[in-house]
Amino acid sequence: MTGNPVNCTVKSPVALQIGDVVSDSFHPGVYITDIVLGEPVNIQEISFKNYYTAYLTVRVLKKEVGSEEAPAKWVTCLRNHCLMANPHTEEGSQDYFSLYRQQMLMQPDNVTTVRLILRQPSSVWLNFNLEEIKIYPVMNEDSERDVPSWLSSITPAEEPLDMNGLPDPDAVSSSIQQMWALTEIMQSSQSSASIGRFDVDGCYDINLLSYT
Amino acid sequence: MAEKRRSGVGAAVADSGKAGKAESDEELLAQAGVGLLLRDALLKLVEARSEDPIGFLAEHFSNLVSEAESGPGGGAGAEDGPKQEEQSSAEEQQQLSRALWHLSLAHHSQRSAFNNNIRVAYDLLTLCGSSRSGSGGVQGRLYTEMLQCLCSEGGLSGTTAAPLLRRIRCHDYEAVPYELFRQGVLTCAAFADYIRKSQCLYAAVASRPERPAERALCRAVLGTLEEALDTSHGADSARFLEASAKISPAKLARAMAEVHVTSKLQEGPTMDAREFEDAAAALFIARVRVVS
Repeated sequence: MTGNPVNCTVKSPVALQIGDVVSDSFHPGVYITDIVLGEPVNIQEISFKNYYTAYLTVRVLKKEVGSEEAPAKWVTCLRNHCLMANPHTEEGSQDYFSLYRQQMLMQPDNVTTVRLILRQPSSVWLNFNLEEIKIYPVMNEDSERDVPSWLSSITPAEEPLDMNGLPDPDAVSSSIQQMWALTEIMQSSQSSASIGRFDVDGCYDINLLSYT
Repeated sequence: MAEKRRSGVGAAVADSGKAGKAESDEELLAQAGVGLLLRDALLKLVEARSEDPIGFLAEHFSNLVSEAESGPGGGAGAEDGPKQEEQSSAEEQQQLSRALWHLSLAHHSQRSAFNNNIRVAYDLLTLCGSSRSGSGGVQGRLYTEMLQCLCSEGGLSGTTAAPLLRRIRCHDYEAVPYELFRQGVLTCAAFADYIRKSQCLYAAVASRPERPAERALCRAVLGTLEEALDTSHGADSARFLEASAKISPAKLARAMAEVHVTSKLQEGPTMDAREFEDAAAALFIARVRVVS
């Protein structure tokens, strides 16, 4: 159903703060994480493990199909999706989540970058993050694993045959099966053991022999 | 009291006498190795499960005797040339018949017993004529002769077995290694069973015993067998499943019904048993690897 996750690079989270990052000692309440995908993907599912993030907004950078000149657009797929029911308590703080295509506001097709905006308004938690982020692409309906033709023709819906005057198929089939099995036994016991003949068409004429 | 003591002493003496005899009985048996002999004979009997156990045991022991005789006797043969030739050819025939007897003990479906017997026969035949040929294996002439005997013992006529033997025979001067020997014996055994089965098949296809079978039916039946044998790609298990789907009773019924409908006349062309057997044998022999 989900298939294999797509290869992606998760960049380190960037905090949004007013003022200088180094001198101010306030902990940020918003982190932004970008995920860059190697090639445009139709996203089926995004799964991750939460670490004390309360609210999540997902924005994707969609590449326009066909027109190379038109710039890619940022589109919001999920706005303020609640991961923790109460930001101050533990509930949902370390759960596994999956976001599906059907939950999103826009179709996440031809996506090159995914931006996750994490918010944690509570001052209880010093750090918050998302871990083990995996993105799954849309799988095709027709996979290459097909039923072999002989399997599909085993039980045909046919009217019963008129076996009048014909030999008994069970007896015939049982004899044929045994003959087939004997031939298989003979074939499987054959190895490449050779007796080491070096003649060319039954002839050992010195002109025909070679050094190899 | 005195009588009792005397009888007691007498009894003790008699007891020690009997005990002495018993000890020497056990010693006698242990010396001759009879326990081992009998155990081997019984094991062979159980393996072979022949209908005539007494005859089987008699043959087994006579083989042992002749082996014991020829063992020390075969080495010391410093006599005139032609006499030696005669002797060695008689010896060869003896070894050959002994090897054939060993091979007939177990059916090829009893895989481990059959392989053991092949090993024993191979060793017998390698020793035979060891003064002349090297230790590379069984002499080609002996090998070919043995295969011919195997085929005739399996109920195959000379003409039926000839194409098979052409593929797996060896020249007189060649030395046959063990692996080839085993393959050849197994092929002949399987072929004998195969021809017997094809005769049963012909009897099943020709629903009336006094009349030969319809040609079209025979062709259809052999065609499905050939199709099943031709599934060559894929892993073993997939191949077996596919082949068995092709020779299921439903498939065969359909194949026969298709062919039968077209020839509604009672007196269509027929195929006799001989031709059917040859056609079936051709399917088998075509898949036998030629010795090279």
